[in-house]
Amino acid sequence: MMNWTLALPEAALACAGLAILGAGVLPRRHDMFFPISMAVIGALVLAGVLVLGQGDGAALAGQYVSDAFARFSKVLVLIGAALALTLALDFNQTDRDLARFEYPVLILFAAIGMMLMVSANDLMTLYLGLELQSLAAYVLAAFNRDSERSAEAGLKYFVLGALASGLLLYGMSLVYGFVGTTSFDRLAEALTAEHAASLGLVTALVFVLAGLAFKISAVPFHMWAPDVYEGAPTPVTAFFASAPKLAAVALLTRVLTQPFGELSAQWGQVLWLVSAGSMILGAFAAIGQRNIKRLMAYSSIGNVGYALIGLVAAASADPAVRSEGVRALLFYMAIYLLMTIGAFAVLAAMRRRGRPVEEIEDLAGLARSDIGMAVWMLVFMFAMAGVPPLAGFWSKLFVFRAAIEGGYVWLAVIGVLTSVVAAYYYVRIVRVMFFDAPGAAGALDARPASLTVVMAATGLFTALFSVAPGPLLAAAQAAVAAIAG
Amino acid sequence: MYVGAVFFPLLGACISGFLGRWIGPIAARWSTVVCMALAAACGVPAFFDVAFGHNPATVPIAAWIATGGLEVSWALRYDTLSAVMVGMVTFVSFLIHLYSVGYMAHDPTQPRFFAYLSLFTFMMLMLVTADNLVQLFFGWEGVGLASYLLIGYWYERESANAAAIKAFVVNRVGDLFFMLGVALTFWTFGSLEFTAIFGAVDQHLGDRFLGVPALELIAVLLFLGACGKSAQIGLHTWLPDAMEGPTPVSALIHAATMVTAGVFLVARMSPLFEYAPTALAIVTVVGAATAFFAATVGCVQNDIKRVIAYSTCSQLGYMFFAAGVGAYQAAIFHLFTHAFFKALLFLGAGSVIHAMSDEQDIRKMGGIWTRVPVTYAVMWVGSLALAGIPIFAGYYSKDAILEAAFASHSATGMLAFLLGLVAAFLTAFYSWRLLILVFHGAPRADEHVMAHVHESPLVMLVPLLLLAAGAVLTGYLFAPFFIGHAWEEFWAGSIHNAPHNHILHDMHEVPAWVPLAPTVAGFTGIALAYVLYMFAPGVPERLAATFRGFYLFLLNKWYFDELYDAIFVRPALAIARIAFRVGDQRIIDGVPNGAAALAVDAARGAVRIQTGRVASYAFTMIIGLVLFVSLLYLGTTR
Amino acid sequence: MLAAVAFYAFSAVLIASAAMVVVARNPVHSVLFLILAFFNAAGLMLIAGGEFLAMILVIVYVGAVAVLFLFVVMMLDVDFARMREGFQRYAPVGALVGGVLLVELLFVLGSWRFAPEAPGLRLSPNPGATVGNTEALARILYTDNVLLFQAAGVILLVAMIGAIVLTLRERPGTRRQVIAAQVARAPAETVVLRQVPIGAGLKNIGILRPPPAAEEREALSEPERHGHGGGHH
Repeated sequence: MMNWTLALPEAALACAGLAILGAGVLPRRHDMFFPISMAVIGALVLAGVLVLGQGDGAALAGQYVSDAFARFSKVLVLIGAALALTLALDFNQTDRDLARFEYPVLILFAAIGMMLMVSANDLMTLYLGLELQSLAAYVLAAFNRDSERSAEAGLKYFVLGALASGLLLYGMSLVYGFVGTTSFDRLAEALTAEHAASLGLVTALVFVLAGLAFKISAVPFHMWAPDVYEGAPTPVTAFFASAPKLAAVALLTRVLTQPFGELSAQWGQVLWLVSAGSMILGAFAAIGQRNIKRLMAYSSIGNVGYALIGLVAAASADPAVRSEGVRALLFYMAIYLLMTIGAFAVLAAMRRRGRPVEEIEDLAGLARSDIGMAVWMLVFMFAMAGVPPLAGFWSKLFVFRAAIEGGYVWLAVIGVLTSVVAAYYYVRIVRVMFFDAPGAAGALDARPASLTVVMAATGLFTALFSVAPGPLLAAAQAAVAAIAG
Repeated sequence: MYVGAVFFPLLGACISGFLGRWIGPIAARWSTVVCMALAAACGVPAFFDVAFGHNPATVPIAAWIATGGLEVSWALRYDTLSAVMVGMVTFVSFLIHLYSVGYMAHDPTQPRFFAYLSLFTFMMLMLVTADNLVQLFFGWEGVGLASYLLIGYWYERESANAAAIKAFVVNRVGDLFFMLGVALTFWTFGSLEFTAIFGAVDQHLGDRFLGVPALELIAVLLFLGACGKSAQIGLHTWLPDAMEGPTPVSALIHAATMVTAGVFLVARMSPLFEYAPTALAIVTVVGAATAFFAATVGCVQNDIKRVIAYSTCSQLGYMFFAAGVGAYQAAIFHLFTHAFFKALLFLGAGSVIHAMSDEQDIRKMGGIWTRVPVTYAVMWVGSLALAGIPIFAGYYSKDAILEAAFASHSATGMLAFLLGLVAAFLTAFYSWRLLILVFHGAPRADEHVMAHVHESPLVMLVPLLLLAAGAVLTGYLFAPFFIGHAWEEFWAGSIHNAPHNHILHDMHEVPAWVPLAPTVAGFTGIALAYVLYMFAPGVPERLAATFRGFYLFLLNKWYFDELYDAIFVRPALAIARIAFRVGDQRIIDGVPNGAAALAVDAARGAVRIQTGRVASYAFTMIIGLVLFVSLLYLGTTR
Repeated sequence: MLAAVAFYAFSAVLIASAAMVVVARNPVHSVLFLILAFFNAAGLMLIAGGEFLAMILVIVYVGAVAVLFLFVVMMLDVDFARMREGFQRYAPVGALVGGVLLVELLFVLGSWRFAPEAPGLRLSPNPGATVGNTEALARILYTDNVLLFQAAGVILLVAMIGAIVLTLRERPGTRRQVIAAQVARAPAETVVLRQVPIGAGLKNIGILRPPPAAEEREALSEPERHGHGGGHH
């Protein structure tokens, strides 16, 4: 019944977290950031290995489930967290406030939260996982406490996040009130045709959706994202844009397809609007941006819109289309995760005389001062614009295909049109890097080795994905079989 | 051999692009030239082997994507159609690489240039040897990328950047339709392999999509995609601007190869187009309109490369309406001959520009024919071929196209015939206008420039002479196979003609005046050019002054750019500005409206925790929530 | 009978004080009313048989949370005028949205129906009557929902880390008590005994001072040991 060994990765990671926290506190020194970061990366890798060895099944009174879907998402979450932490290695050491050992520890606890999210098999587990991740995220956003922008970002994120959590909890309590259980399995059993479309449940569903849509910053629950992305330190922004987003999308997918599968007609409509709105806003609002982190915020809103196309297709009545949609979604998020981290690695390397710079114009003439970084950025931007044969093209292709097969032709048309618009601002960055004359402020600082590693790893993946797309597709296929088979 | 023809250019691109810094510019450029020579040495025999030895083949490379429902593999498809393209592309590309060695000799970043050029060649070969639509699309985007890079090669120039972006954006519009076409093909046929699609056309004749016959819709979408790449009317605006790139690039990409990809696509998809009569009619009309439109504009342009660019646009129009009336073979034949003489003209123009110290305005040239005799001679050959004067290559292919248009006995075909005839006249006129203004008359350049006029080095002249030979001979030598009595054997089914399509037979049985008409039109055009520019040089100016409106209309390219600016560019900018205002201005430029207390905060420079804004964010969330709930309630109660 | 009277009395006071929490103009009064509400809620719990919850409510909520609230409210200078200004600005749109939401939630209420077994499950603090209320709660917390319990623990840990990270600062020059240093001091280090000649005033012998500059420098350079015995010399 308890079967707690199934949850070994989370348990091990939590124990490691406590040990690392102790190791950070006890020496009473100020230079613990680097060793603790290394220890956390080690713990994340260890957890990744344990995840790969995890078996199938439900555990801990059915509140925790381990299946291929959870494992796929967890591996990506851990990769995202580890890479985001690697991004911070050099960046944080330039600032005394950022170079505190709590930073990696918070990322570790956020990772536990995300792992719980994707493994949740009960509304309560879902909520606690989400809160664990969010709370760590609020603190991380405000981590640079002497920066007004960072503090403001943290506070804004916290207040709005609390509202979203409130909506989520209200929805969950309505579900409990109407069905009498919070377990996903029993919800799925109870929500058969006769229960399905009651007004109360539909309302509850929308509240739950709203709470989760906030976490993935989908329109109209996206308002926090540009401010927080801009205000938070760059490595924190990189983290926000990558792993938590993937975890929340995975969670949303599981919640909607498993316990609320019978209500697909309802959530399908809502998600259609959310997806279309996100794509449109992401494409148009980014055009006028001067701050590149803000631009990436809108870009990530747009990307969530594209990913949600897959989830809309998963609302279809045809099981083949359903699994196609979920697969496209997972595939999209996996590629998005790596592309985004790569792009943020370039952003983190944008420093002049030790101080971070964030305007697009600061990239001017990068091709002349640092051609390697310019080329990686070109790869990421073109990939996000969906230029073949880069990875980003395939992910878009798959979601559009899922949409067309599900009969959501208009959504695909909106997607294609907005991606053309979005290509404009991605290409603009490339133009600034390659064709504009460098500004008066001089060249950017030399990039540190840790960022080069991240850029090269994600860049090679993005550029060469077409050569061997098989393994990722196969993994996504296996993950889909676990929840939308 | 088959694999080598495609991959040697990639090898060259890699050597020059990645190792260029270490091995130096000389080694880099010669390595690409050697690789291209090897590719040509593979590609040309491959052409003869496949087309004349009747030895079509498909070379599998690797399985690429294999996942539920979509299976795509890398494979090189060598049938006659591909082989013609491979032979032509490798040969012309080799000559242009060679020519570039001389032309780009003073450029500081040669490895980059040669890497791009070779990369382009590889992508083009990938496109023409594609075995399925995905691989074709890969090449299609690849040539677009290479073209973007090469147009913007001189990135110090603002105009080159603008042209590169314009080409990219306009091509993306075309690609959008192309992608929709591919998606719809997959939807209809459940496969993207050519063999599977062509085999299944019969079963899908009656399919409908959104109430429209699916085959028609696919054909129209693919054609719109082709329009973007091949600069057909409406999406042609990028091509003249693309002349910002180096001249060899214009010759290779924007004359001989990439822009013909659209024609190739239509020919490749002929089994589908044959059953889409409406789409074919659209192709005919658009092609004919382009041929006519571009020829009129070409008559008044003053930039030597732009004149030739509009001429390219016009000739592409010929190819399309040939395909539109069902004479795909004639279209490909014209594509084949055109590659030789248009590359020749561009390289000749490059030689002129080289001689004139980088001057491109033909009003500032003149009187140099004795100083550059070889260039002058090859320009004559190229122009004769372009104008369709007998025994030159263009004569065979252009005549065949016009005959086919006449023989189609349809309204659109007749329209194409008439417009084509007028365009043939205009073609001859602007070609000789160019020749006379550039080479004859009194020198209009300053003495400094005139003193430096010189013939190009041998490494540039050899490609010119070889292409000139091609421009003379290819028509006469290959006409019997491409469109003559042996065509069925030659094409071996690689281009499909439906049972009801007898155009290749009918085009030989038109009234006797039809084959003569284009030649007569050509000679008339030449004569008119001589009269106006050689013997009565004042007349053109007076004409321009008398018909000022008409002249400006032509000079401004029928106001297409201005129209697009008004319809697309400005509204898009306006939308962006609105989105910027609504989405951001309050954050960047100020504080929330009405929040006086917060304004005081900001003024004090205090911690700007703008509670007003958080509240509005929260409101947005709640409003969104209420909207969704209401929407579902309305949906449920209805 | 007595239980019924007590129930209505507790309930009435509970509702009234809850209303006062919202209505009271003075935030300190609000918190005091909140404490009153907690006490009455605890009384209701006792009547229902949940003695454990009743005690927890008093100890945790009244003893800790509400008192903390009281401190916070007293320490923060909350400007109600400004809050009302924001309220008025958003009142119309807020009322509209809130009204629509209210109507929708009324629809939800309309579709509410009780499960047949629900009345039987009401007020059963000791399920199956084999174990006591406290033990039943403990089983739910520590056995059935152990995952949730642990996760909640981690969340609190993260909250603690966050609070420390965001607020704890080591300002240079602050003086903190170091008990070990204080205890380890010997009289010889702090007290100097001098023979004072009879009749000599301060003018004659001067003022004996410890070397303050050196002391301060040491305090600044070694934050761990600074300020030992601060104020004693």
